[in-house]
Amino acid sequence: MMSQNLIECKGVSRTFGRGRSAVVAVHDAACSVAAGDQIALVGPSGSGKSTLLHILAGLDQPTSGTIAWPAFGRASLRPGPVGVVFQAPSLLPALNVLENVALPLVLIGSRNDDANAAALNALETLGLRGIANKLPDELSGGQAQRVSIARVLAGRPQLLLADEPTGQLDHETARLVVDALLATAEFSNAALIISTHDIEVAQRCATQWQVADGRLHANFQELTS
Amino acid sequence: MIVVTWIRGLILRRPGRTATTALGVAVAVALLASLGSFLAHSKATMTRRSIENVPVDWQVESAPGVSAAQLLDTVSHHKSVRAALPVSFAKTSGLTATTGGSQQTTGAGFVLGIPDGYRSTFPSMIRTLTGPQSGVMIAQQTAANLHVAPGDTVTIGRTGLSPVQVKIGSVVDLVSADELFQVVGAPPGATAAAPPDNVILLPTAQWHTLFDPLAQARADLVKTQIHTRIDHSLPSDPSAAYSNVLGQANNLEVALAGSGRVGSNIAATLASARSDALYAQVLFVFLGVPGAVLAGLLTATVASVGRDRGRREHAVLRTRGATVPQLVRLAMSETALVTVVGSAVGLGVASVIGSTVFGSAQFGATTGSAVMWGAASVLGGLVIAAAAIALPAWIDARGMTVSASRRRQDRVGQPRWAKYGLDIIVFALGAFTFWLTSRGGYKLVLAPEGVPSISVNYWAFFGPALMWIGGGMIAWRIAEFTARRGRGLLCITTRPLAGTLAPTVAASMIRQRRLLARGVALVALTATFAASTAIFNATYKQQALVDALLTNGADVTVVQPQAATVGPEFASLIRSVHGVRSVEPVQHRYAYVGADLQDLYGINPATIVNATKLQDAYFQGGSARLIMQKLAQHPDNLVVSAETVRDFQLHPGDLINLRLQDAATKQYKTIPFHYVAIGAEFPTAPRDSFLLANRDYIAQQTHSNAVGTFLIDTAGTSQAAIAGTLRKQVAGDVLVTDLTHSRKVIASSLTAVDLAGLTKVELGFALALTAAATGLVLWLGFMERRRTFAIAHALGARPRQLGAFVWSEAGFVVALGLAIGTVGGTLMSQGLVKILKGVFDPPPSYLAVPWSYLGLATLVGLSAVVIASLVAVREARRPQLSVLREI
Repeated sequence: MMSQNLIECKGVSRTFGRGRSAVVAVHDAACSVAAGDQIALVGPSGSGKSTLLHILAGLDQPTSGTIAWPAFGRASLRPGPVGVVFQAPSLLPALNVLENVALPLVLIGSRNDDANAAALNALETLGLRGIANKLPDELSGGQAQRVSIARVLAGRPQLLLADEPTGQLDHETARLVVDALLATAEFSNAALIISTHDIEVAQRCATQWQVADGRLHANFQELTS
Repeated sequence: MIVVTWIRGLILRRPGRTATTALGVAVAVALLASLGSFLAHSKATMTRRSIENVPVDWQVESAPGVSAAQLLDTVSHHKSVRAALPVSFAKTSGLTATTGGSQQTTGAGFVLGIPDGYRSTFPSMIRTLTGPQSGVMIAQQTAANLHVAPGDTVTIGRTGLSPVQVKIGSVVDLVSADELFQVVGAPPGATAAAPPDNVILLPTAQWHTLFDPLAQARADLVKTQIHTRIDHSLPSDPSAAYSNVLGQANNLEVALAGSGRVGSNIAATLASARSDALYAQVLFVFLGVPGAVLAGLLTATVASVGRDRGRREHAVLRTRGATVPQLVRLAMSETALVTVVGSAVGLGVASVIGSTVFGSAQFGATTGSAVMWGAASVLGGLVIAAAAIALPAWIDARGMTVSASRRRQDRVGQPRWAKYGLDIIVFALGAFTFWLTSRGGYKLVLAPEGVPSISVNYWAFFGPALMWIGGGMIAWRIAEFTARRGRGLLCITTRPLAGTLAPTVAASMIRQRRLLARGVALVALTATFAASTAIFNATYKQQALVDALLTNGADVTVVQPQAATVGPEFASLIRSVHGVRSVEPVQHRYAYVGADLQDLYGINPATIVNATKLQDAYFQGGSARLIMQKLAQHPDNLVVSAETVRDFQLHPGDLINLRLQDAATKQYKTIPFHYVAIGAEFPTAPRDSFLLANRDYIAQQTHSNAVGTFLIDTAGTSQAAIAGTLRKQVAGDVLVTDLTHSRKVIASSLTAVDLAGLTKVELGFALALTAAATGLVLWLGFMERRRTFAIAHALGARPRQLGAFVWSEAGFVVALGLAIGTVGGTLMSQGLVKILKGVFDPPPSYLAVPWSYLGLATLVGLSAVVIASLVAVREARRPQLSVLREI
């Protein structure tokens, strides 16, 4: 028996603004994502990768078309089965690394002790336990991004979306961050979608989807069959 | 070019923060300019109000041997003089009258020659009590001593000549006897001589007939004064007006060339008014400067809220090649923008305030002072803007690396001043200075004898200023300490809002403790400012009322003429007037203490407070209530003035024999009293010396229950209307005065400075600052952390959870800030009143707390917090993906 798709997206468009100043960021996108998929969304800056990723994560609503997360039923996407890593460091500056990683679990009502234990495990997995008590300001860009990944890992997501996670990092640090993402996806048996314009990063994923001028070139044949 | 781009970016991309910073500058500029309006207005009205009550502007006294006609001619032709009339003085060896079968003789006195038209030219010198407006007049105390009335004959003794007789036409009150009988040319600081008890005033022609022979025989017993009214077109500033009239008097003395000396009553009055003007300046410093400083702090806070972002923006520019001077120019352009916009708005608001509250849109009495005040206000705004924007940017640009600029600044470590305990040192230094300067009594306005210039002792502000600054820093320390060490407490207090998120919220607050502590300090300082301003204003208002009450006696006062024999039963007629709540008869007699004639008041100690308020400050050695109880203990108990106690070396319980007139025999008789307490003031009584005794005892001993004054309580309302009704019901020679009128007349003390406008402005600004310190600062803080909330929202935080962060921080800042501010406000108010004790006469027994205003201020502050928090929560709930991509 085939497992349910994590995402089913059909005819999705997203337009910003109205009238003559309207900008179509995503146009008629269709795709599906299954558990274990490792997909790179590639395309130049401004092509609509981030917007599409935000729609897939449930952070933004499409202007038209439908998107569904059949595997998750009525469960809240975040915090929970969907984890998101952003392009810019996205740690709460007033919380230390451990508290940042534990936050999604606390938000869904976990006891603080349990949340902290899970957060420490996630940090351990990514080799970040040594910086658990540091504040975000004390971290390098790469460390901050890996802590963001640990925060996703702690929530045991089924779908992991990363929006240009290496966009502000040097080559070596970018490699470490992608390692962490792949490890997290494998550890959680989660589907992974990374938006990137770095071809090396894209090549480390099993599948590459291209986004150009808001149009997604993905496995639409399979979806429409 | 880059500056223009930067400015356009600020206006288009950061309109909220730029406008809010400009608003902070506008508040400071408006406050300073409004206070300028108050100072100009109060100074201008003070000159006008003080000189309009001067009975005679100049009294020019002839030198021995100079003819009166020659003196009058010189004075009349002086450029400043508008009216001049000669008044003749002759010393009499005594006055005698025979009435009712007995003969009364007084000691030495004065006989004055009053020219025609004198009373219309100088209307506030003489007031007729009984009889016609012309003819021979006798002073009321003299009439009482001689038991004479209009129609009776008085014999005037002439040294070396035979006595002469005159027929009394009317009994008068010499309203300005102190000025009339002053020693012209007395050295500065000389003790003023008491006016004579025995005075008769004759028409000039009659005086010359009777006393020209005396002038020939004994020229030393006769003199002439030229009483003058001068041109009142004087500068509105009392100091300038004082210098002006002093110069005019000197000019006349030059013209007189030794033939006369000028006694300038108008200069004396203006000397007092210029002290009042300086006190107004003192009020400005005390009430205005903290407000302006607070506005500056708010502006700095608003500007600093965006400082992290500004640093990051500058860091980006530096990586693109911008130099330090270029970055500083950008910051200066932002400073200029904020100053121009803020100053324009502030001056506009001040103009509106000035025209609505003070009746003038100008910021000064003259064009020069208006320009000066306007420029000073704008300069104040520029300093605030520069300190808030340009200076931090310059420091950052010079001292920080690009990577450091891109990081958020340390929000957990203690600043250097806190590490070294500078707050404690500053506060302790302030307290010590305050103790040093207040232990000997505060002297804010220095007016050395014989020195024409006076000045404010600004050193006296040093203590309170340091305590205010130190207090604000200590508030910061308390808040920082509470957040740093109070994790458990924060968890417990935030749990109702945050639930299981409480430890996270507490952790967030602990890390943000410097930001929170700044908010707490700001709220505490604002609350202190609002509370101390409101309490001071309320106390000032209360003391102004006390001052007027002391002069008038009660809400409405009915004063019987000296010779009247109206008894206490007259009170029932007064009581029948609608609006009268209580009436208290007070006897007024003259009693000899040794050879000294003093005012004696007969009261009922148990009921006197039904009609008037007795302040504790009126008495020495106990509260007003205690002294009244002491007085009531024995019928012959007596309260005497401190001066009398000193002069006669009295001790409590000493027997004092007073000589009072017996109504049955019309002769003075000795009546025993016992001294029990010291009185400093009493309603309607003169301030130097008076006596207070039991009404019934005096009535019994003198065989007369005649009442001099009826004190009437109207519950503080409709005083003028009730006084008007009473005037219609009493005889023409009965004087009816009311508190409303008295408050207008009192113009020599500071409490006559019209604070109503200043109060409105101060309290209005305090409310605005309270709202800004609470709501605006919190809102800007939340807005600056939009990214934090966007991340939390993206992570799945529900609205209630986002609200937990917002409400917890708001609650911490407001609760702690208000608590510290309440303590600070109370302490500061007490300090203010202590410092300004010299202003209040008598000093206040207790602080007046305007609960309704304080309640309103609290409500405004809380409302601002609630609105800011609601807006912040609503903003946080909206997905803001673009925020997540910002640098």
